[in-house]
Amino acid sequence: MALHLNLLHEEISEHRQRQRDPLKIGMIALGIFGALMFGYYMWNAYQTLEIKGRLTAAQHDWEKVEPEVVAAQKRADELNGIIGTTKVLDGMIDTRFYWAPFLETLARCVAPNAQLTSLDGLVLDDNKGISITVEGVAAGREPRAAAEELRQLLLEQIGQDHKDVKVEFKTLEDLDTIANLGGANMAMARYVLNVAFNPFPAAKPDASAAPRPPKEKPE
Amino acid sequence: MKLTKDQLQKLILSGIGFVVLVYVYSTFFLGPLNKSRDSMLATIKDLQTKIGASKNEMHNATTLEGQATAATNRFAALKALSPEGAPIAWFPPRIKTFFAKQNIEKSSTRLDNSSAFKQSELSAWIKNTWQIDLPQADFETLGKAVAQLESTEPLLSITRLNIKTAAEDPQFQQAALSASTIMVKR
Repeated sequence: MALHLNLLHEEISEHRQRQRDPLKIGMIALGIFGALMFGYYMWNAYQTLEIKGRLTAAQHDWEKVEPEVVAAQKRADELNGIIGTTKVLDGMIDTRFYWAPFLETLARCVAPNAQLTSLDGLVLDDNKGISITVEGVAAGREPRAAAEELRQLLLEQIGQDHKDVKVEFKTLEDLDTIANLGGANMAMARYVLNVAFNPFPAAKPDASAAPRPPKEKPE
Repeated sequence: MKLTKDQLQKLILSGIGFVVLVYVYSTFFLGPLNKSRDSMLATIKDLQTKIGASKNEMHNATTLEGQATAATNRFAALKALSPEGAPIAWFPPRIKTFFAKQNIEKSSTRLDNSSAFKQSELSAWIKNTWQIDLPQADFETLGKAVAQLESTEPLLSITRLNIKTAAEDPQFQQAALSASTIMVKR
């Protein structure tokens, strides 16, 4: 067997040591890793550019639509305002108290032997009701009975159309004056009636935006 | 394999270099890029939502326009009841003419007070209270005139009515009306 002598073992050992140099290996690994990261970065940058393009397109679309939307919103607000105002106004119109039908009812209730001298009517605040003071004189054999007849008739007639009706005497007094009715002398009484009733609905109905014709009133 | 001191130092140096590289990469390159991308995606989403909602809004506005035709006409009609100019200038003559047509020749109207409405819907409207005096009217004519007034003036509401016999001429009555009107602010 031939003897094999390695006279360069030191050089070979140094060469091997250089190849296993951790700094060199680290630098190579770092370079590979850096290249991978750069590639990944470029891929992300490309995607970002694509997204930027989509954003520009979306912004362009919005710029085209925005003036129309603003105009539509403004118009919708205006229309909602008109609808709201009309609703409130219609509600007020619908809950008005009409005096003409009441005057007609009152005129129907006054008999020939009774006379009204004064009427003072008031719509109470917040539509709580109507308060009326009626003054007059009645003549007859029993003038107080004639006044009471008027009171009862008013109670009955107003009660047909309205709720919470009260017709009460504030004053009822005999007068010394004598009235001549149909050739007969009659005693007279003076009365003051307090009339109260509520013509308004308890809960306000929801007035629609649609127009309503004004209520017809009997004349 | 046993590492020499020199090799260990080099290994640690390589490790530090790796950490620095990762830090610089994520902080100054990938981080801002991702942040910008996320921000753009959020903006796109926001814009798309806005565009989608705007289509609905425009559709709603068109539908509302159709539905509000009646209200718009009604509103215009109510608004037309208030002519241009100060109410004190045109309302009393209008009432005088009205009662003259109803055969009540004598009438006078004066403004009692003006106030704003509490309702926000009526911010452009004003409430005026008028005192209308009719010194000579017979009951039947007055009743008819009141009925006509209440029919033709939907924004007028009589809040107080006082009728009494005229002392000098018992066949006539003296009437005083308090009427509140709703008018457009001019």
